[in-house]
Amino acid sequence: MSDRMVLVEGIGKRYRLGGPARMDIRKGLAHNLRALAQRGGEHFWALRDVDLELRQGEALGIIGRNGAGKSTLLKILSRITNPTEGRFEIHGRVSSLLEVGTGFHPELSGRENIFLNGTILGMRRSEVKRKFDEIVDFSGVELFIDNPVKHYSSGQKVRLAFAVAAHLEPEVLIIDEVLAVGDLEFQRKCLGKMQDVTSSGRTILFVSHNMSAINSLCRRCILLEHGAKTMEGETADVVHAYVHGNDQEASGVVDLSGSPVTGDGAARLLQLRWVDPQGNTLPRAKVTDAVGLEVSYEVLREGVRPQPVVFIHDSEGDHIFTSFPGIDVAVGRTVGRHVATLRLPANLFNEDTYFASLWLATWLPHKVHQVHENVINISVMDDLASPTRSPSHYRIRGALRPLFPWDIGVRQGTGDHLGS
Amino acid sequence: MKIVVDAKSWNPVPDLREVFAHRDLFLTLAYRDVRVRYAQTMLGLGWALFQPLATLLIMVLVFGRAVKVDTQGVPYSLFAITGISAWSYFAFVLKESGSSLIGAQEMVRKIYFPRLIIPLSKATVGLIDMGVAVVLMLIMFAVHGRMPAPNALLAIPFLLGIMCAALGVGIWISALTIRFRDLQHVVPFIVQFGLFATPVAYPAELVTRSLPHWVQVLYFMNPMSGLVEGYRWSLLGGAPPDQLIWVSVVFTGLLLISGLFYFRSMERYLADLV
Repeated sequence: MSDRMVLVEGIGKRYRLGGPARMDIRKGLAHNLRALAQRGGEHFWALRDVDLELRQGEALGIIGRNGAGKSTLLKILSRITNPTEGRFEIHGRVSSLLEVGTGFHPELSGRENIFLNGTILGMRRSEVKRKFDEIVDFSGVELFIDNPVKHYSSGQKVRLAFAVAAHLEPEVLIIDEVLAVGDLEFQRKCLGKMQDVTSSGRTILFVSHNMSAINSLCRRCILLEHGAKTMEGETADVVHAYVHGNDQEASGVVDLSGSPVTGDGAARLLQLRWVDPQGNTLPRAKVTDAVGLEVSYEVLREGVRPQPVVFIHDSEGDHIFTSFPGIDVAVGRTVGRHVATLRLPANLFNEDTYFASLWLATWLPHKVHQVHENVINISVMDDLASPTRSPSHYRIRGALRPLFPWDIGVRQGTGDHLGS
Repeated sequence: MKIVVDAKSWNPVPDLREVFAHRDLFLTLAYRDVRVRYAQTMLGLGWALFQPLATLLIMVLVFGRAVKVDTQGVPYSLFAITGISAWSYFAFVLKESGSSLIGAQEMVRKIYFPRLIIPLSKATVGLIDMGVAVVLMLIMFAVHGRMPAPNALLAIPFLLGIMCAALGVGIWISALTIRFRDLQHVVPFIVQFGLFATPVAYPAELVTRSLPHWVQVLYFMNPMSGLVEGYRWSLLGGAPPDQLIWVSVVFTGLLLISGLFYFRSMERYLADLV
């Protein structure tokens, strides 16, 4: 028997434009009459002609920009949605983790939710029972295990949910960006757990925007662009191509106001622009420039309080920092169009190309309305006038090259104690 | 274990074996729904008791006292509670089915499982209410100092038939609401209409005797008509029900089977539509 675990052949998924074919009864009757007359309409392919093959113990990373079809691919392979064309086969028990804590009910206790979530993820009750103590132990919430989950902090909830997921024992594991939640410590724990999973001979399909997670977990990677697989190979090569493939025309502006609204429809990004302090567009910058990232967005729905969250990555794909206006900032949350500008000081960036990703998100309760991955970049060049410039032609190492104050003076005294 | 999905070949036959393989999920969801329904509500189980009691009270006042429906010697309150114990389950399943898939959309978008489990687990929750109503009925027997009829065990197959009818209609409704969301708003009307089109508060004979035969057949095409008649007859005895109750039995089967097939055909679009 071959050790091929996953075989995907020519998978494609077509969606109808202008929303799904859900309708009211009146329109439905009219629609069926019309459907007889003309089949079709406006469609687009979210995914087309994708082939994959995974052997046992392999971890395959799937990268690509937003809307490239990554999630659609995982949904098809998880059998949540059906492909429009093509076929696939999976040998062995599959678990897919497209979200942590699916089916959690706030009124139920932690204990009950472990059973609920465990069976939802495909475990037998007896299996959950057997692993129960381990799960509780891993989650670190044993004190509250009989309290309703609605009294948990969001961190506790995520830990409990992940503890359940971590104790799945599938032969094929499908994971979508679950590492995006939780703090750094938690993410590290997840990653460690997933490495255990591959080293124990199981097969993983892993979608992430986190290039370092992809790097450390997957040896092989595919790149999806506009629904098609455009590259497959060693992770380092594919990640490199992905990050540098975005070296678009350095105009300093990305306009999305004409593109369809993605996400949950509560808010959308209109335009992103690198600006100088006077508000002029900045196609490229010098390390000595104060750079702003101007975010124009529109709030489409009442009751949400979105604000932009900016993630800055360097050309290696490493995440350097995250910035947002602040949990308590109330402006720019009403329905309508808003502009928010992130102001970065001069002498912060190194000589490099930086990529910005962006969320429109409400903090409390936490909800991400839109995600824009590597949506804009900026090339930062060195400046001979920079106080932090390299004395030779070597690049100064580090993701950033901030100018920090130094206190420099003459050391007083001759004793062994400093500062006394 | 091997999973094969092919866009070109699709099996239209409902896969009940797969539903059975997911029985643990079904049990857990049913447990969740029961817990959520009864754990936190102030009245708890009392609510399950209050509903049939209130219905019984109003029926006794209207049909028993005011209209004086002829129940052939059976005390009206006993007559009515047999009907209510059957009908309340049917009504519950219909109401829950309309919103079941929409209520589970978060799960449906994130995880695979046979979607039929959702309406099935909702229907299971209704068994608690039905159990309470049946206990209430037994108390009424005691209050009136009567014993159930000798062939009372026949009530069990009729009760199973009622569950099938409820499931049949419930599965149809839940599958239809995937495409026609506003159907949920039609369900309360169906329930209300059905209550009068079914011999719950009155004996079927009272309505059908003066009608032409084809209208009688139409009346019994309502699956609940024949089943409630048969259920009541097996408990209370008296003249055996009209042969037309077989029309109801056949229609129950048809509804359930066609419902399973229609649900199957909608199931694959579910995640794209909800």
